[in-house]
Amino acid sequence: MSSAAAETVPAGLGVRRLGLSLGGVLGYGAIWAFMAVFLIYPLLHLFYDAFTTEAGELTLANFRDFFTDRFYLRALGNSILLGLGTVVTTSLIGVTFAFLLLRYEFPGRRLFSYLSIVPMIMPPLVGVMGFVFILGRAGTVNILLMDYLGFPRPINFMYGIQGILIVETLHLFPLMTLSIVDAMGKISPSLDEAAESVGARGFRKFWDITFPLTTPGYVSGALLVFIWTFADFATPLVVGVDDLLASQAYLNIVQFVDRRLFKMGIVISAIMVLLAILFLIVAKKYIAIKDYSSLSYSVIERKTLCPLAKGGVVCFLGLILILAFIPYLGIALDSFGKGWALTPFPVQYTLQYFERVAFETPKFIVNSLLYAGISVVICIAIGVPIAWVGARTRLPGREVLDSLTTLILALPGTGIGIAYMRAFREPLPGFEVAFIGLWVVIPVVLGVRRLPYTVRGTYASLQIVHRSYEEAGESVGATRARTFRDITLPLIWKGVLVGSLYSFILALQEASATLLLVVPGHEMMTVGIFNFYIGGSVNEAAALGFLLILLGAACLLIINRLAGTRMGGVFG
Amino acid sequence: MRKVFVILACFAFALGALFAPAFAQSPAIENELYLITPVSKDVHDPMLKAFAAWAKKKYGVEVKTSAIPKGTPVAYGQILEWKGRPQADVFWGGEGTLFDNLAAEGLLEKVQIPKTLWEAIPAAIGKPVPLPLKDPKGFWVGTTLEPYGLIYQPKLLKRLGAEIRDWDDLLNPKLKGQIAQCTPDRSSSSHASYEVILQTYGWEKGWEWLKKLAANTGIFTARSRDVPNVVAKGEFAVGFAVPSYMAFAEVLAGYELVFVYPKNAYVTPEPMAVLKGAPHPKAAHAFVEFCLTEEGQLLLSGLGVYPITPGLKVQGAPGSNQEKAVAFTGGLRSFFEVEIGNVYDDKIAGEKKRIEEVNSYFRKEIAEKHKEIVK
Repeated sequence: MSSAAAETVPAGLGVRRLGLSLGGVLGYGAIWAFMAVFLIYPLLHLFYDAFTTEAGELTLANFRDFFTDRFYLRALGNSILLGLGTVVTTSLIGVTFAFLLLRYEFPGRRLFSYLSIVPMIMPPLVGVMGFVFILGRAGTVNILLMDYLGFPRPINFMYGIQGILIVETLHLFPLMTLSIVDAMGKISPSLDEAAESVGARGFRKFWDITFPLTTPGYVSGALLVFIWTFADFATPLVVGVDDLLASQAYLNIVQFVDRRLFKMGIVISAIMVLLAILFLIVAKKYIAIKDYSSLSYSVIERKTLCPLAKGGVVCFLGLILILAFIPYLGIALDSFGKGWALTPFPVQYTLQYFERVAFETPKFIVNSLLYAGISVVICIAIGVPIAWVGARTRLPGREVLDSLTTLILALPGTGIGIAYMRAFREPLPGFEVAFIGLWVVIPVVLGVRRLPYTVRGTYASLQIVHRSYEEAGESVGATRARTFRDITLPLIWKGVLVGSLYSFILALQEASATLLLVVPGHEMMTVGIFNFYIGGSVNEAAALGFLLILLGAACLLIINRLAGTRMGGVFG
Repeated sequence: MRKVFVILACFAFALGALFAPAFAQSPAIENELYLITPVSKDVHDPMLKAFAAWAKKKYGVEVKTSAIPKGTPVAYGQILEWKGRPQADVFWGGEGTLFDNLAAEGLLEKVQIPKTLWEAIPAAIGKPVPLPLKDPKGFWVGTTLEPYGLIYQPKLLKRLGAEIRDWDDLLNPKLKGQIAQCTPDRSSSSHASYEVILQTYGWEKGWEWLKKLAANTGIFTARSRDVPNVVAKGEFAVGFAVPSYMAFAEVLAGYELVFVYPKNAYVTPEPMAVLKGAPHPKAAHAFVEFCLTEEGQLLLSGLGVYPITPGLKVQGAPGSNQEKAVAFTGGLRSFFEVEIGNVYDDKIAGEKKRIEEVNSYFRKEIAEKHKEIVK
């Protein structure tokens, strides 16, 4: 993997140094070709479809239909409100977490800092299923309330917008924590001291120093949370909410009978992509203006709290984490429990669901690992060079590449999935089948979607490695390729690996683009979960989800060992 | 005399030897089969597995099977989208009219099965409106009989103090927020049951009834299979328009559910067809054949659906799945033993325009106003 990267990367540099090295041009061209074919072209095709009639004539009628339909407008409004609401709730929890974990010393801090990322490894659908098992109308909590405390009817936690808000908040607040931890970690304590020396303390210091310096990190975290919520269609569907944009896009696309609705699905996806681009431009501008961040992580001195405060902090963090772990409990119970209904916990336990998903049909697991693995290879082959070009060269177009990578982060998965479906449905020249009929489409789309994490991880590490190391190597006559291999790579491999592992976990859990694109006979775990779920085998879905969570947790543990919580930068 | 016999025997043997390899080769089938189907895993999974075993025995071929589970409208749309280059071989389940449409588009191949199997299936069932069980032109064939009924969680219903015996019991105010249903534009079982109501009461009164149903509805699920799922779990007390096998699958999985077969409820023959241009056509036709053999029908009868031929009945040893299924659906062993009421008229409901009318009326007047209707 790394050798492929090593070959492409220095070649890219050659362009700058030698004017025109053939290998460099080819390598750089290959990256561009990849981005053009697998990102730009499908998106353009999506817009083309949205702006034309079935017959291929240019029209704005589709958009008029959208903006004059009261139901769609309500869906748009709801989606934006839900996104903003989630940003607010995740901010409250995520920022508090980051602050406490970074600035204070209390028992179990390291454990909390690991556990606080764990809620993020929750495959789509699995999270909401887990919540319903515990908080649903017949979930553990309501059954306890009704059977033991005499409540006449269940409390409706889940069915409605509030349910989605609960699920998204407790799933996504770690993204916020990571972004803030990353940003705050970069603030030099000398700034704090300087502020204090002129008498600024408490709120004043936070407002003048800490807040502006963490803003870029916060904005990128907020954008990710917003887009994630905005694009999630699985959660709303389980709790019976369909007046949201993502649900409408999904529902309209997966029904083919009514061609007009199908077209509206495409139009809605196009609108979602356009909105994502818009949000990105706004956020990006903001980040660029306020980019004060220094390059190196600084050592933060943690304050020790008085025993009472310690207790308070531990209780608070514990409580939030208990809530965030509800879905894990629900999934675990349902994957072992048989015929669980109207009792607080299952009465019978069995291993049959695990046997079914792991031994009878191991293809889900095998395919997941295979596709996520291939996608990581793609991420490294394309992403490491992109990061390197961005950090070390002044090649024309590198800023566009950077924007494209960021754009991918903001693109709703449903949008990409639909774009691929439309763009690659004609048979390949010289072949009988279309590209979307080949299983390769899955690792490719996963690779594209998870590329930013590898790029960010590599980029962040490259920034920490000072140019002078490389210059020292070059000054004694090493070629750029040699320098990269002997000096840069050993210094950045951790960053590349962490970024790639994030790409891997998130590729394992991807289920919005791939659900639309899955090729029969080549289903992965997330698709298996979805198929089991909609096929009525909820227990099997839970068991498969449970395995996927374990896989994710293992990857996360490795990341944590390698880099601590400081790799939040990959999400910005 | 004896000499003649020996010569004849030799001749016969030689003839046999000459034809045997040819005979063994010709019916061989491909080693893969892809099914696109709204029939859920509870039924298609065991059927595919049994087919693989049957094909191994009959043709000596290890068939690798796989299913693409999609709701009826989605599967139908997907097949149109494939434009004659399908990624699946067999389409199974839904309403006959959709199959007629596909045949008219030239996307189906005529079913090739032994004549005796074809003829064992009656042309239609039900009164006053006969419901076709196979396509006179031969593009699709019914595989089983399956009512779309009502289900409830007995403990919950008792707690609510309500009873479910027929359609109108669903409108009981005690059931407010307790009914789960899928939308008619996402589920053909829901759509067909909406048609049953509309054709029983007429358009205006029918929609009034359906709005009252919506007022009691707590959730419109994403797929019809979710309905028995949430009712079995106890999240909601009553399910509307549930195919019998889906509810029975929950019972087999250890949940408590009761099935009610209301008056004139829709009964589907779960049509099956081979897609034109299918990647594995021989395996496809073999699968259709398997479903209609006694072995296939027997397997189906243990899953909560009924044989499509009058000659067979749901019965088994005490404690068998067959007997459980009979008990679950209230003692019925064959649809040909009783009078089957049917008001669902294919000619009215099947028209493309009518389907869109029903869906868009539902969307405008019920889905978009659900919050207000509930109040």
